[in-house]
Amino acid sequence: MQTAQPQRSKVLVRRETRSAYLFLLPSLFFFIGFVVVPMILCVATSFFDSTMGKDTADTFIGFANYVELWKDPIFLRALRNTFVIVVVSVPVTCVFSLWVSSAIYQMPGKLLSFFRIVFYLPVITGSVAVTVVWKWMFNNYYGIFNYVGTGLGLIQQRINWLGDEKYALGCIILILLTTSVGQPIVLYVSALGNVDASLIEAAQVDGATDLQVFWKIKWPNIMPTTLYILVITTINSFQCFALIQLLTSGGPNHSTDTVMYYIYYTTFKLYRYGYANAMGVMLAIFIAILSAVQFRFARER
Amino acid sequence: MKKKLVALGMASVMAASLAACGSSSGSSTAASTSAADDTAAQEQTAAPAADTQAAETTESTAEGSNLSASLTLWTYPVGSWGDSATVDSLISDFNAKYPGISVTVEYLDYTNGDDQVNTAIEGGQAPDLVLEGPERLVANWGAKGLMVDLSDLMSEDSASDLYDSIRSACTASDGKVYEYPLCMVAHCMAINRNMFEKADALQYLDEETHTWNSTEDFLKAVQAVYDSGQTDVAAVYCAGQGGDQGTRALVNNMYGGTFTNADHTAYTVSSDENNKALADLYAQDGINFDASLVGGDEINLFRQGVLAMSLCWNASQQNNTDNNDAGLTNDGDTILPMSFPTSSGDAKLCGGIWGFGIFDNGDENKIAAAKTFIDFMCNDETEASKAVLAAGFFPVHQNMGNVYVGTDTADTMQMFTDYFMPKMGDYYQVTPGWAEARTAWWNMLQSIGTGSDIPTETANFDTTANAALAAATS
Amino acid sequence: MEKDNKRHDVHHMSAYRVVCLVVLLILAFLFLFPLYWIVTGAFKTAKEVNSVTPVWWPTQWTLTNFQKLFSRQQAPLWEIHLPFSSSFSGTGNAIVITAGPEVPAAIRWMVNTVFMAVAAMVLTCATATMAGYALAKKRFRGQALLFSLIVAAMALPKQVILIPLIRQMSAMKLYNTIWAVIFPTVGWPFGVFLMKQFSESVPTEMLEAARIDGAGEWKTFTDVVIPMVKPGIGALAIFTFISSWNDYFMQLIMLSSTSNLTISLGIAKLQAENATDFGLIMAGAALAAVPILTVFLIFQKYFTQGIAMGAVKG
Repeated sequence: MQTAQPQRSKVLVRRETRSAYLFLLPSLFFFIGFVVVPMILCVATSFFDSTMGKDTADTFIGFANYVELWKDPIFLRALRNTFVIVVVSVPVTCVFSLWVSSAIYQMPGKLLSFFRIVFYLPVITGSVAVTVVWKWMFNNYYGIFNYVGTGLGLIQQRINWLGDEKYALGCIILILLTTSVGQPIVLYVSALGNVDASLIEAAQVDGATDLQVFWKIKWPNIMPTTLYILVITTINSFQCFALIQLLTSGGPNHSTDTVMYYIYYTTFKLYRYGYANAMGVMLAIFIAILSAVQFRFARER
Repeated sequence: MKKKLVALGMASVMAASLAACGSSSGSSTAASTSAADDTAAQEQTAAPAADTQAAETTESTAEGSNLSASLTLWTYPVGSWGDSATVDSLISDFNAKYPGISVTVEYLDYTNGDDQVNTAIEGGQAPDLVLEGPERLVANWGAKGLMVDLSDLMSEDSASDLYDSIRSACTASDGKVYEYPLCMVAHCMAINRNMFEKADALQYLDEETHTWNSTEDFLKAVQAVYDSGQTDVAAVYCAGQGGDQGTRALVNNMYGGTFTNADHTAYTVSSDENNKALADLYAQDGINFDASLVGGDEINLFRQGVLAMSLCWNASQQNNTDNNDAGLTNDGDTILPMSFPTSSGDAKLCGGIWGFGIFDNGDENKIAAAKTFIDFMCNDETEASKAVLAAGFFPVHQNMGNVYVGTDTADTMQMFTDYFMPKMGDYYQVTPGWAEARTAWWNMLQSIGTGSDIPTETANFDTTANAALAAATS
Repeated sequence: MEKDNKRHDVHHMSAYRVVCLVVLLILAFLFLFPLYWIVTGAFKTAKEVNSVTPVWWPTQWTLTNFQKLFSRQQAPLWEIHLPFSSSFSGTGNAIVITAGPEVPAAIRWMVNTVFMAVAAMVLTCATATMAGYALAKKRFRGQALLFSLIVAAMALPKQVILIPLIRQMSAMKLYNTIWAVIFPTVGWPFGVFLMKQFSESVPTEMLEAARIDGAGEWKTFTDVVIPMVKPGIGALAIFTFISSWNDYFMQLIMLSSTSNLTISLGIAKLQAENATDFGLIMAGAALAAVPILTVFLIFQKYFTQGIAMGAVKG
């Protein structure tokens, strides 16, 4: 963070604090106004039996919502799904984009641009537009996966991709991956391109294998990029909402419910605001812990 | 206790069939539902418009034309009420009479519409007017205290010829009216006649009366179509709530189960009849419990000739000409509307009622203007027929007559008047806790579709739904 | 960049590369497919687009889908609510500035989306750069607390505060305006975190030197700090632009009138309303994808450079 400075006069300290807050002010306005205050309200409401309606006064019910959470199989399932999505999609995104980048970064300029654009396309097209097409592709009756799969004999009979518990979450993760590798690939291509070529050459002269070159020279050099990618991919995976709302609405049988979607569902389908807020608070705690761990990990590097 | 009594009275009124109500009052019992005959239906079409109605409208013009307000109207896609060209024309008729009231329309859909309204309520920008059915207006938003009581409109002379069953469906258990009705329909199912013919399955049904010989024959017909190579016969769609009246009606009718008890004080899905129906559907070749579809998707698949049957049909669907002539699939196969299969021969079709409700935004001026709008659309001598025609359903005024005479769809509408409308069953969609019960229903179908034990799942449904009912009435 | 420094085992390498290229081409096909399907689907007839056996290429190109899309509702091209203006407008209603002719709502959705993404980007970059600099280079009371709060909230999904946020927007009369989507995006502290990391690389001596030269706080910031953290601003700008462009959730809960929708929301609405009209949905999707894609292709170099700046120092 900050190097220890020699003792400063009180006036100086005060002046620095004032200027620091002046710089922070615009950001704090938005952060406190639209994140912190709603979060506090969220915590407060989570102790109430709050619902929609004009005539219904909220009753204070203490930790009842929180107790119920741990007995709610759907919440536990949603929690597990959220965890699965993050744990699968974050490493796969990183490894996949690193592999693609390593494969393309030394290609001739035109080809490199082509691939870079192609993998970036789903990001540009927009998640909703892409999702609409994927929904058609996964369709049980005339989707392209079943059409091509049965046509080529890859699958015995049609699979109801989004309507079958076995496949639905996998499909969601697959689409999530296609919409999230674009940025990491661009980042990695550039990071790999910036690795000092003379270092690589020297290693190769010494007889290092490609693998050794990668681990000993390239990997340490692209480490900051990897950390950045880890952070943004984690954030993106947690934001995975549109896919679920548009493709499965959490079904079948809650097999694609994430905590984020379940909060929305509890709010607008079950009208249980207090309960939904308790869920939000739990999720926030989990994520705060995760962020802290990730941050500590990043700092150690 | 008092509530219970009111509900009991309401239920007995509602149990009366619509057509039978045309001449008699609500004193008839549930048994008379099946006794409805063609004459009653014709009686209602022949009656002339009441003079009092016309007088009433001119009077309201005189007092209301200087009203000035700007209203928002959110419509669900009730026929062409979801289509801006049609609605614009209706609004301009309204403005010709009431130039001071401007109406801005937003179009909702059945997938996200509820969430959209719910967020707007929380955002403090609920629409002034909304067009939908009692299951939302009365049982959900009305019960939550968000809607304006329309008892005054309901007690006007212009409302005197509303069917009693419709009137009670629009009235909450505390006697407040949260919806003013515009039109109604009986939901049914439909088959692809060509596919059935090819499979020699037409023997299991009566084309003339649009009924199945029996539930057994219905299942035999599905098997025959399946065996003929059309392996996708029907889909028990359950990705969401859209079109769920079809799945409910199928399950309930097969062996005479019910969704709620007669006085709407308990959800009764976990009966032997319903369990047997669900078990038979699950076991039947050609019927898939499909958690990737909602009603709209299923209709689409049926029109595309992928499915041989749709569970989500009605008069408006039969007249749809988006992709081909009315009554034909995209490939030109004939669509035959059908009642739901029953073992007793007495099908109870799920009713659909649509009308207007007013969100209580605390502005008396706006509420008065909104009431004027409702009165104009639902009761005006010429406009009301136009508004009903736009929906493509049937009028709720007994004295309005047949609004389809002379239109392209007259024959189809007559067929529905003759064979489907008289079978309209209990309007149980106003049972308290409906929104939650509805959500539990498609969740239950998803579980059953993945092989869960049926009696356990239906029992779970009842527990969830009845808990919501208790919470809503406490 | 593409220096050929492979001197050994040329055959082995090229075999590996051929395999790579094949796999990449297959993947490329998968990634290209949705866009291809959107663009061709937009021009197919109703029969072809709804066909159960896929029609790979329209046999007859038609504009019907676009005509249908454009004949739907109309909206003014441009309409902007001044945030918080209801408190001083006198009428109690927000001041709304409307401009431009009536256009099909779909066009308006594009305008809204671009405005939203650009405004979110500019506001985020401006506020985060200032805050990041203060956090990295100044010592003040509450610093540690603030920083932990930022780290904790960084990855927080917005669903967590769904109801409080809607109610708050309602209280501020921002609900159903584009600001209700923009402000929470700006408030999300990832940008501050990122800019703090970048600001740390600014040598303290340079700040001291500027101060000794008599530069004020603001001048030090604009003349010394900003040029040094430019790569970070570029990375943040693109990250914010893309994530607000693709952030469907906030739009879903905050916007309700047709004229206020964004293109993502518009397409989702088209899909929900017209399950039977896939061609119309594809036309909407094409309208959303093609302009931004064109811009992307033209400015590809700057764009990728912008993203890549984040990679240099993370």
